[in-house]
Amino acid sequence: MTAYEQTGTARPVRRLRYRAANLLDWVMLGLLLAGIALFILYPIVSVVSTSFFVKGQFTLQYYLDLFTKSNLKLIGNSLWVATLSSSFTTFFAFCIALYAFCSKEKTRRLLQNGLLLTMISPPFVSALAFILLFGRRGIITYGLLGLSVNPYGWHGIVILQTIGNISFATLLLLASFDTVDLKQVLASRDLGANPWQTLWHVVIPLVRPGLLSVIFTLFTMNLADFGTPIVIGGRYKVLATEAYLQVISTANLGKASAISVLMVPTAVVAFYFYRKTLSQSGSLAEGSKSFSGSGYEFELPRSIRCLLLSVVGLFFTVMALKYGNILLSTVSNTATGHIQFTTKYFHDLPRSQMSSYWRSIRYAVLSGVAASFLGILLSYYTHRRRLPGMKGVEFIASLPYIIPGTFFGLGYVAAFSHEPFLLRGTGLIIICNYTFRQISVANKSANAAFSAIDEKLEAAAQDLGASRMEVFFGVILPLLKSTFLTCFITVFTSSMTSVGAIAFLISPGKNVASMELFQSIENGRYGVAAVQAVMIIAVTLGINLFSMYLLNRGRKNQKGGNGRVPEAGSSQEAV
Amino acid sequence: MFLKLDHLKKLYDADNGVKELNFSIDKGEFVTLLGPSGCGKTTTLNLIGGFLKADSGRILLDGEDITALPPEERPISTVFQSYALFPHMNVLENVCYGLRFLRRMSKKEAIPVAMEYLSIVGLSGYEKSRVGNLSGGQQQRVALARSMATGPKILLLDEPLSNLDAGLRVKMRAELKELQQKLGITMIFVTHDQEEALCLSDRIVVMDHGDVAQIGTPREIYFHPESRYVATFVGKSNDFREGGRTVVVRPEDILLRMAPDGPYTIVEKTFMGSHTEYVVEGDGKRLEASLFGRQNSELETGARVAVEIGHSFFLNE
Repeated sequence: MTAYEQTGTARPVRRLRYRAANLLDWVMLGLLLAGIALFILYPIVSVVSTSFFVKGQFTLQYYLDLFTKSNLKLIGNSLWVATLSSSFTTFFAFCIALYAFCSKEKTRRLLQNGLLLTMISPPFVSALAFILLFGRRGIITYGLLGLSVNPYGWHGIVILQTIGNISFATLLLLASFDTVDLKQVLASRDLGANPWQTLWHVVIPLVRPGLLSVIFTLFTMNLADFGTPIVIGGRYKVLATEAYLQVISTANLGKASAISVLMVPTAVVAFYFYRKTLSQSGSLAEGSKSFSGSGYEFELPRSIRCLLLSVVGLFFTVMALKYGNILLSTVSNTATGHIQFTTKYFHDLPRSQMSSYWRSIRYAVLSGVAASFLGILLSYYTHRRRLPGMKGVEFIASLPYIIPGTFFGLGYVAAFSHEPFLLRGTGLIIICNYTFRQISVANKSANAAFSAIDEKLEAAAQDLGASRMEVFFGVILPLLKSTFLTCFITVFTSSMTSVGAIAFLISPGKNVASMELFQSIENGRYGVAAVQAVMIIAVTLGINLFSMYLLNRGRKNQKGGNGRVPEAGSSQEAV
Repeated sequence: MFLKLDHLKKLYDADNGVKELNFSIDKGEFVTLLGPSGCGKTTTLNLIGGFLKADSGRILLDGEDITALPPEERPISTVFQSYALFPHMNVLENVCYGLRFLRRMSKKEAIPVAMEYLSIVGLSGYEKSRVGNLSGGQQQRVALARSMATGPKILLLDEPLSNLDAGLRVKMRAELKELQQKLGITMIFVTHDQEEALCLSDRIVVMDHGDVAQIGTPREIYFHPESRYVATFVGKSNDFREGGRTVVVRPEDILLRMAPDGPYTIVEKTFMGSHTEYVVEGDGKRLEASLFGRQNSELETGARVAVEIGHSFFLNE
């Protein structure tokens, strides 16, 4: 028998170690709070105050100016376009999500992966494909049909916004469908309702908060989207383009800020319904499963199934057309209506292209790591340590996720263009913008992951003598490895492909790939734009696939372990 | 013969599902499907309810073949383990649901009927409550009322008591039995809890790996199990070979008597209050015995004892 040795009280050296850990703990918390205050709260406050103050004087002038006759026309245009696109997107997304809901596990998984893949799309790739296929010299309209169609105008905006957001909206809706308890559907049928009646009386009411959340989120995104109208709107102007041009060409921050503030209410409504969906899934009875893999059947009437299937088919055809066309366009010229192969576009890439490209990747990696780490840290202090006031901090951190992207970008311009925090023109401001806009994505995933990890684990580690920091870095982070990775992919992808907020922040010599692409399209250099788009898709897809490979390997290794892998919360970022 | 399962088969893979079920149930009977998880009892229930399609075989109800009918067309109702109440409706709307869809009543017609069933389960006054605000026991009653209100020929209950805490479970058990006797509804009850099965059922169907192991009254199942599986799953038992046959003895059918030269020695003793459990060894056997009463709790480990076997039976092999 081995001797049982009592260790007694901690020795001075060990006490020092605990004290150092506590200090580091405070430093980390302090940095996190300072970061959120400076890079989230301060910019938001700046936008609001910019819209109300002229040279220190309170005024409603910017808001009153918005309601002049020409601006009212813009507001009308914006509402018209945003209403149409969000309704169409929601309809198509609902069809695809419902189809997935009624499908077998395999089909469902396939659909979900397909949707995730189509999320990896730089901005305006749809616009680019649309112009190349259906434009004045489009392969289909001009080349095949011999027509010269004008794709520019409000219908172009609606088509592109609709198509562009379907994957995102469907993924959100799928999460909402997941909260439907399979047993409730069975109970409904058991009580005499057929599948069609069950759909109307049980399924749709249960996903209604999710549907409303999606439609308002889309509405906000479309309202704030200035890129699509610039590219395809032609002479049709909307409020968001006006805000963008105000900043870019006349540096009139006040008016742009006022426009952005006007878009906040719809965002808040979207957020309200989003929270409602979340609370619903939280109160769900155990044993809720989706239809997939359970052997139960839920067959809608044949005509409905056909409709759903044709929407799914149409969507993926459009996607195939879009990506296929972009690939083709990198090596061919279709301006004459016939396909001519060429390598011209590779030589025509702007001189800054490669440096912007690498800079983008660097920034996206940095912000991916930073956002994931900070999000997990925020989760830890809020839900594990339960420090007072952290729930409020968590809410502030989720604001960039709620408000339109342009609002957040403008905030950075308003906040960091002058002393004491003159950061405009640096690379840091871009990294910070990417990072802090995405913190809440990581935060949400981490919250889900934390709730799946037994809290006793941390208590046990501390009980065995680990300091707070050793618990965090030695127990918590390793358990959240897969969460970290999924967050990293989400943030990386979004950083590589987003334009909304960044448009205001880039400066000569600090350009990023997604903006180079935007500028090429704006200047009508479509072939070059196609090459740039493919470059962005390639690296993003590569990183995504590599991470998925790592995740799958990790999952196999720790099958049945404690670290259940929650799916990454799909980002609800507004353009 | 009210409900008849005829060569019913549903296999997910070689080991999961039900292989070939043949049994029938009489009108007004309370039948329990008993077995460990994965034995196929819930699959059986889902086949009867119409939620799963059988690979082959038939289900006959009251002489009618209902095998191909979807759940909404079967005069059968299920109370789910998780109750599956609709969270977006209040208690009354939940109970009205089946009345409106299955019995084709208008809202006006449905309300008094629903109220009546709510009063049967003792929930009058809760009509407007949100189902999320009810306790587990109350949700259970709503689910019962919702199913019974549709006037099903058979009520299926899928481990309906498993989400309740111990005290409430015993209380609901009594209420359920009373309700069944009062209304005379045919019920099929699924559980893995032998105590529930023994005290509630008219007959028990013990299941094992997708097959029926034995069907019988609770007394038949307990006192005359046909296989070692049934003997060990329902109650505790000792078994040993004697004269080329397997003999089974329940622990409570064994008596221990102090005997300094007895062939058995007490090797373990666990005091349980109402009874005391002993393990004795000797004669090449190891037996478990439970003895009731205060006197019988005073034997010590290490003591030598003689064993008297009251009731024993042979397994059909």
